[in-house]
Amino acid sequence: MARYDVAIIGAGHNGLTAACVLAKAGRRVVVLERREVTGGMCASEEFQPGYRSSGLLHDTAQVRSAVVEALRLDQHGLDLVAPPAMLLTGADRPGVMIHPSNEATAADIAAISAHDAGRWSAYQDFIGRVRSVIEPLLNDTPPDIGAIGTLQSGSLGTLLKSAMSFQKLGRREMAEVLRVPPMCVADWLNEWFENDLLKAGLAHGALVGMWAGPWSPGTAANLLLAGCTTTSAVKGGAGALAVALERAARHHGAEIRTSTEVASVAMSGGSARGVVLATGEVIEASAVAASCDPRTLFLDLIPAGLLPVAFEHRVSVVRARGTTAKVHLALDRPLEFAAKPGERVERARTATTLDDLERAFDAVKYGRASDHPVLDIHVPSVASPAMAPDGCDSVSLLVHFAPHALTGGWTDAARAALGDAAIAALERVAPGVGKAVVGREVLTPADIAARYGASGGHIHHAEHALDQLAIRPTLDTMRYATPVANLYLCGSGSHPGGGVTCAPGALGAAAVLSRR
Amino acid sequence: MAKRYDAIVIGAGHNGLVAAAYLAKAGRRVLVLERRHVVGGAAVTEELYPGFKFSVCSYVVSLFRPHIIRELNLTKHGMQLIPLECSFTPHLEGPGLVRWPDPHRTRREVSRFSQKDAEIYPEFSLAMTKMGFFVKQIIDSPPPAPGSMHPSELSRLAGLVGHLRNLGPDMVELHAQLLTMSAVDFLRMWFESDALLAPMSCSGIIGTFLGVHSPGTAYVLLHHYMGEIDGAFRSWGFSKGGTGGLSIAIANAAQAYGAELKVSAPVARILVRGGRARGVVLENGDEYKADVVLSCADPRRTFITLTGEQHFDGDFLSQLRRYKYRGSSGKVNLALDRLPDFTCRPGSGPHLQGDIAVAPSLEYLERAFDEAKYGEFSRRPYLNVVIPSLVDPSVAPPGKHVMSIFVQYAPYNLKGGAETWPSRREEFGDAVVDTLAEYCPGLEESILYRQVLTPWDLEQEIGLTEGNIFQGELSLEQLLFLRPAAGWARYRTPIRNLWLCGSGAHPGGGIMGSPGELCAKALLDSREV
Amino acid sequence: MPIATPFHPRTLASCTSLLYKDWAGYYAVRSYDTSHDREYFAFRHGCGLIDVTPLYKYDVRGKDAARYLARIMVRDIRKLKPGQVMYVCWCDDQGHMIDDGTVSRLGDDHYRVTSSEPAWHWLVRASRGMQIGLGDVSDRIAALSIQGPMSRDTVDAACGGEVRELKFFRLANTRIDAAKVIVSRTGYTGDLGYEIWMKNEDALPVYDAVVRAGRGYGLEPAGLDAMDVTRVEAGFILNGVDYYSVLRCLIPSRKSTPYELGLGWMVNLDHEPFIGREALTREHQLGPVRKLVGLEVDWNETEALFRAHGLPPEVHSGGWRDARPVYDTRGTFIGQATSGAWSPLLKKNLALATVKSEFATPGTVVRFEVTVEYERRAVKATVVETPFFNPERKRA
Repeated sequence: MARYDVAIIGAGHNGLTAACVLAKAGRRVVVLERREVTGGMCASEEFQPGYRSSGLLHDTAQVRSAVVEALRLDQHGLDLVAPPAMLLTGADRPGVMIHPSNEATAADIAAISAHDAGRWSAYQDFIGRVRSVIEPLLNDTPPDIGAIGTLQSGSLGTLLKSAMSFQKLGRREMAEVLRVPPMCVADWLNEWFENDLLKAGLAHGALVGMWAGPWSPGTAANLLLAGCTTTSAVKGGAGALAVALERAARHHGAEIRTSTEVASVAMSGGSARGVVLATGEVIEASAVAASCDPRTLFLDLIPAGLLPVAFEHRVSVVRARGTTAKVHLALDRPLEFAAKPGERVERARTATTLDDLERAFDAVKYGRASDHPVLDIHVPSVASPAMAPDGCDSVSLLVHFAPHALTGGWTDAARAALGDAAIAALERVAPGVGKAVVGREVLTPADIAARYGASGGHIHHAEHALDQLAIRPTLDTMRYATPVANLYLCGSGSHPGGGVTCAPGALGAAAVLSRR
Repeated sequence: MAKRYDAIVIGAGHNGLVAAAYLAKAGRRVLVLERRHVVGGAAVTEELYPGFKFSVCSYVVSLFRPHIIRELNLTKHGMQLIPLECSFTPHLEGPGLVRWPDPHRTRREVSRFSQKDAEIYPEFSLAMTKMGFFVKQIIDSPPPAPGSMHPSELSRLAGLVGHLRNLGPDMVELHAQLLTMSAVDFLRMWFESDALLAPMSCSGIIGTFLGVHSPGTAYVLLHHYMGEIDGAFRSWGFSKGGTGGLSIAIANAAQAYGAELKVSAPVARILVRGGRARGVVLENGDEYKADVVLSCADPRRTFITLTGEQHFDGDFLSQLRRYKYRGSSGKVNLALDRLPDFTCRPGSGPHLQGDIAVAPSLEYLERAFDEAKYGEFSRRPYLNVVIPSLVDPSVAPPGKHVMSIFVQYAPYNLKGGAETWPSRREEFGDAVVDTLAEYCPGLEESILYRQVLTPWDLEQEIGLTEGNIFQGELSLEQLLFLRPAAGWARYRTPIRNLWLCGSGAHPGGGIMGSPGELCAKALLDSREV
Repeated sequence: MPIATPFHPRTLASCTSLLYKDWAGYYAVRSYDTSHDREYFAFRHGCGLIDVTPLYKYDVRGKDAARYLARIMVRDIRKLKPGQVMYVCWCDDQGHMIDDGTVSRLGDDHYRVTSSEPAWHWLVRASRGMQIGLGDVSDRIAALSIQGPMSRDTVDAACGGEVRELKFFRLANTRIDAAKVIVSRTGYTGDLGYEIWMKNEDALPVYDAVVRAGRGYGLEPAGLDAMDVTRVEAGFILNGVDYYSVLRCLIPSRKSTPYELGLGWMVNLDHEPFIGREALTREHQLGPVRKLVGLEVDWNETEALFRAHGLPPEVHSGGWRDARPVYDTRGTFIGQATSGAWSPLLKKNLALATVKSEFATPGTVVRFEVTVEYERRAVKATVVETPFFNPERKRA
């Protein structure tokens, strides 16, 4: 008899979510984390004495409240708050604030475009209506494609719920729901708005982690999906979520071992029977749930020669080309944006035009990092002053675009150049910030791959391209079970994908619980 | 008193002619009105230089539906297709790549770049052939109407789902990938070498404002495999006498069935009264009345220019406005004193008898696209070159040749505005000739005559809005039940008795004949004519 | 456009018929004369010399070479000792046939795989995590096959007396004149026979030496037509004719398994996991739904059928590969005969057929389609064990 019911590979937010769900259901759970800290891409770490980063993923606005409630994370220190307002700011222009409230946003947009201000509520209304169709699909196990058209199709209830919402939309809007996802986000936004800054800022949200620019078809889907899942954010940021999840997991009896690297999945016949640690220790478990990315799991952790050839090939063509770098800055004074002098701004984006984004993406197609990157900014110390010394700011920059496979490789010089380019980009919207930088940490996609174990340094474990959203990561594994008996997926490489949602962890755990 | 017709077809493009032929064959009195002095629209042959006959715009016949050839008896009326021999990709270094009909020969060619690629070809073809069945169902019938609760629609949808089910889940996955992935990403599931990926992925970008890495470009790859499903192996080819030869054959067939055809008869507007189309008025004021009017002009020209905005509601108009054209390609036609001599494969030979693709690498293609994205034509564009006179001696004097060069990218909306195209035309032509001359030095000296067609010219001369050769981008959001507008994808329009029969309707552009055929059949089924 | 093998200058000089076909992209002689009879009888009475260079050949080297091949092949490759050759087949994950061929163990960690179709991409795809080096030597290694009762004397003479003792499915490193060659006792005729593997540049001297050595032993250059008759007599299947590689099958019914093709004897379900094992284990328990069998077509009925039209019986003079239907005695379709030949030696009309398993027992009577004066008829045929012809000397 195995010592554990479930061994979970990786203590990122999805691994911890799975641990909570399983432990709460009475399973004996062990979570194995390679790093010395838990939280994975949500972990908040001190990168400079006195300065803490928000997690690698600093946007928590898509965390699923249903998961938070089901796990009673409020009892473990988690507070959900309204997502912070987002400043869209470009060079030489007044910025625009996207507030949680539509009225406030429209008022702000009115300053730059009366037309767009008028369109804002219609745009939000459309997303609100579509949400009823899309949200159920995103919060449940995807349907069984092998059983499509039969009554055995799994998640039938979800499908029916979604189909009924779909019917309620009416013919015209139904067509719209089918029309938009394959579009370029630029084309879709051009249909709604005229102001460049607004369009660029919104489009940037659809491109985080993507191997795509705003003129790439299929990117509208991401904007739509993000819009349909944004609710409330985690107070204290991603790091606070990780802490609460860890507390909850331990509370329910899960064992969490850090500095414990899994070297391979222990196999017996065609089944998983636990994991083998880098130390050689074997941890026996009736089931293994992997929150690492699917390429790492199947191509590195499963011993060679055991998987079906076709499946192995299929996994090898899962696209996970990291395009996002991370820069953490320690400032000796508060960060001040030219667009909002004297104001404290927690979130901001810096693309001035859609073409800025597109040009930034162009670079990665040729194996270069953009010389003029666009930034998705989070200043955790605004809401959590303890993240930086008094009167100082800790700044988190998601830098787009920088390829994992940089021509010439990620040398120290290339890393430094990336950091400089990011600071220069910030300087354009926050003049003087360069002089305020007292410390910085630059994580290239290669560093992200090394630190977090993510294949290709991809922050979502697999690209959010339409095909990889619909069937994620592969046909044989899209419902969390895998061709290896007793082995399950529970990470961002699974439906509904990456970002701080906790949804794959919860759904993967549900699949483990429902096994016979 | 003007003569009354059952149907008037605006435009003698190949789709308009197909529609006219089907209607006439069914016994209807049909009048076809063509603005230009020749039939064919974009499928036209013109003798621009004495003795040289140019396929001015469309230059290869890709997917012309074989059943249309049979049903309209087009061979009797002069239609002949000559298959393309091979596909040649010249390189500046090394012997380049030729893909031959002989699989072993192709394997040897490809294995110089990647042995894996050379061998995996049959496996790739197999997957594409399986998917071809599905696509054939799509392009040979009107688009599905999702959300419709009509029993016939539901049963059709069930039929498609059933078809996918029978193929198995892995094929469902492959279809999802084919519809949404970029040509390069899709091909990379099999192939690895740049030298092969570049020319193969090109077929996904032709006529689109997309790059080979842009999602949504994989789908068109399948068109290269449709021939096998149709029982017309190697169906890509030249039309004898140029692509106009095809149009003339269809026109002959239509006339043989009793249709009337008037060229140099530009339609000024469609007569609409009480929400119904009643006929047309020509620019010279002549009126023609008919029970129904079919237009093979593109949606903008049909509805905005010829009908008038005032006849449509706001939703339809907003759909029309957001329907994207943005032509991305141009054309250079050359009369040559002698054959081009490619440095990488010197001399004449069968490698010149197919299409010649200047697509040396993925980076080359992507850079060409990047220039266009920001409003410039590509300085080093993707070229698709054919020399039809090698296999069809009727189009050039003995020993001389015509060369047709399809060029991408040439964005309609240049940075300085589309209207600056005329002043940039020759510069564009020079860029094209310079590009090709890198691979076959001496080309310039052999040119007897040069015609340069920019997207602006395609719009002004042929009538293609924004120079889009497909009458609207073939992107997923403009296909199937969304082409040209949601709710109006079955050839009918908001104006009663006005029907759309051109490439702006399902299943879209290319010399397929399907929109014309499907429109005519839907019209006959409706018993409205 | 096929290309020439390294032996082409010699084969062309002898090929009076100019009857060539495309074999894997190479020119291959169908028959040197307009009829292949003489070449056939050389195979069975003297020895025939055939250029088999177009076979695909791959080298596998390295620490994991055995483990890697054990994963790919359905047969237990671990039993193969240096100097041995094994007839093998390999399958996809579902246990469907990809190809059949041989594996030779050339050294401790050095193997050579031959196949009838290109196998490189499959070999690469199955190699993840294996410490091996793969090399395609198809275009660098030329091969000659010498088959027939006198082949031992011929090859032994050519090698200077080194291979007389070479056992069935063994190989030897030796020399022919100055050229280093590998001689294996293998072949595709079901007779005593050898195959000689050499570098391309040694091809012509070796060819000449073999021809010189065979002068006293009835050696004749032979083409594919004659070999096709012998391989049917031997009951050997051919990829692309008697079955199709799953990698080329559009529909499930085209796919085959080793059990269906009579190769079940080589499937070793007990050895370490190999590609397709689970599916083949299931099939082994349930039994295959179809089986490849030998058919002897009844001569008397055939003769009578033709005589009714006033004709002498017409049989295909060589092997045939255009499949024809097989029916049960009530006329229901039960499978297809995929290749066959009139055996000049046995004086029998033979066929290889894939039929529903319930008709696969030797002695079962079925109906075989025969076209007489443009009319499709059927004659009696009896299921028999293969090989149809199996001389002692093959293994002796």
